[in-house]
Amino acid sequence: MYITDFLRKKTGFLLFLPLLAGCGREPETSVKAGPELPPHFPAPVYQAVQNPYSEAGIELGKALFHEPMLSRDGSVSCGTCHDQVHAFADHNVPLSMGVGGAIGKRNAPPVQNVIWYKHFMWDGSIRHIEVMPIAPITEPLEMAANWDTLLTRLRASEKYRNLFFKAFGSEQIDDQKMLKALAQYMATLVSAGSRYDAYVQGKGSLAPDELQGLELFRVQCASCHTEPLFTDQSFVNNGLDVVSADIGRMLITRKEEDRGSFKVPSLRNVSLTYPYMHDGRFRTLEQVLDHYTSDKSDKPLADARVRDMRLSPEEKRALIAFLRTLTDYDFVSNPKHALR
Amino acid sequence: MKNVKTILGATLAAAILALASCKKDPVPDPQPQTGEVNIEFEHAWGPDFKPFRFDTALVHPTTKDTLTFQHLRYYITNIRLQRTDGSWWAQDESYYLVDASTATGSLLKLSGVPAGEYKALSYMLGVDSARNVSGAQSGFLSPTYGMYWPWTGYINIRAEGISTTSPTKAFTYHLGGYSGADNTVRTLSYNFTDQNLRCTPTGKPQIHMKVNTARFWHGGIKTADIHTIHAPGPNAVTLATNFAGAFVFDHVHN
Repeated sequence: MYITDFLRKKTGFLLFLPLLAGCGREPETSVKAGPELPPHFPAPVYQAVQNPYSEAGIELGKALFHEPMLSRDGSVSCGTCHDQVHAFADHNVPLSMGVGGAIGKRNAPPVQNVIWYKHFMWDGSIRHIEVMPIAPITEPLEMAANWDTLLTRLRASEKYRNLFFKAFGSEQIDDQKMLKALAQYMATLVSAGSRYDAYVQGKGSLAPDELQGLELFRVQCASCHTEPLFTDQSFVNNGLDVVSADIGRMLITRKEEDRGSFKVPSLRNVSLTYPYMHDGRFRTLEQVLDHYTSDKSDKPLADARVRDMRLSPEEKRALIAFLRTLTDYDFVSNPKHALR
Repeated sequence: MKNVKTILGATLAAAILALASCKKDPVPDPQPQTGEVNIEFEHAWGPDFKPFRFDTALVHPTTKDTLTFQHLRYYITNIRLQRTDGSWWAQDESYYLVDASTATGSLLKLSGVPAGEYKALSYMLGVDSARNVSGAQSGFLSPTYGMYWPWTGYINIRAEGISTTSPTKAFTYHLGGYSGADNTVRTLSYNFTDQNLRCTPTGKPQIHMKVNTARFWHGGIKTADIHTIHAPGPNAVTLATNFAGAFVFDHVHN
């Protein structure tokens, strides 16, 4: 088993070497592993330079993503709060539950299209997908794990020794390999198969109300929720509170003008990821739009782009009809993303 | 079978060619001589370098605060040695975590140093900005050392202990921040004032540094005012600058 894998790896190495155009590139162990890049998306931010994709690496990452052993008491995995059926967001709860019933501080975002993101978390504090999982794994309110315990558990598992061997050619298990494998799997979680995507690629059509919604969207929403990722990845105070209890981006920049600013979330699969906002305060898209059209004269920090939105009830219905076309049913049901 | 052999042979030849073309110096000098150099950090207390111990109450020479260290670790990275002709040798993958609680944790062993004479040492106190944003790391840069926060990067210097004059009865300094005004990484250089360092394949010359751990509170900083630093910012910058001044070259022995 090990030897055949080893030989296949080595043979692959020899066959690929002459084909390498430049130097210092790692050979790929399979024909074409890694995320599928949609033609209407920009180049990804994460290029996996030090982490070449392989089927075995992605498989390992998938196993780790769904592995409760990574939490202190073995009760929760990444997948507990990032479930495929909700586009890898939580099960429609405002805040997520970690080990021992601890409640997190912010709404769990969907894990999708992460290789196009410059930063992660609502306040953009984390700037690299490979180190992103360190936060929830070690956060006391989430998985609350201790590195030594976690690595000891993985090393004691024959299943993981095999998976690490297949992915990295060695049974040695360490945190770096673990994080790289998690990044490989998360990188493959690409959502670009919605009816909207079919429409913009000339492969499908939208209903009249959905098209009206798309037009409204491009005028009223797209300056922040920019296509095709449906976020411009900026930090915006959208006027939720007079004084925000959660200072948001200010936690990172310490600038008063960033108080209550949060990263513009992608709207892909938005119909599956309610409730909305950093604290999950709105349960429906109707409530969200009512918020955006509400008076914000008492919210001095609210961004200019959310101040003067006017939408008739009919326009709101059309906008929501459009937002529902961003649901990617293949993404949320494709068995390749699920643990077999 | 013959065909297979021919293909394999061609593949191997191409592979060797491809490999060879990757090397900048195809034929280096026959086995350049290298040796080992050690850098020892001797932790001491105050400008006259009184004995420093963990779990021992020490009175600060100027602020008179009482300070009991329980934890002191910091990154020494990007180590370089200056040859007598002025050029520098830079160590590859040069990342060390000094643990002041033990003698072995305070001794850095550099292997593969080219044989020759050196007149100066340079290193960074802290982890360079590139490694803060390059994804999952290994060795001393692994997050398992508890010196890394995914949201602020590496904790370059971590000092913790008891101080009766602190409102929390403790001092907890996690000094991180790698960019702009928050940068806590300091590049330090020292001339070997007594003699040149001679690196040979057999000798193990040592650079002896003294570290005045009282420097955190340089400039009259009292634990009543600054006792907890858990994020980048002005206090982290001030204390990192202070601690950078703790390092004093003492001597070389060849």
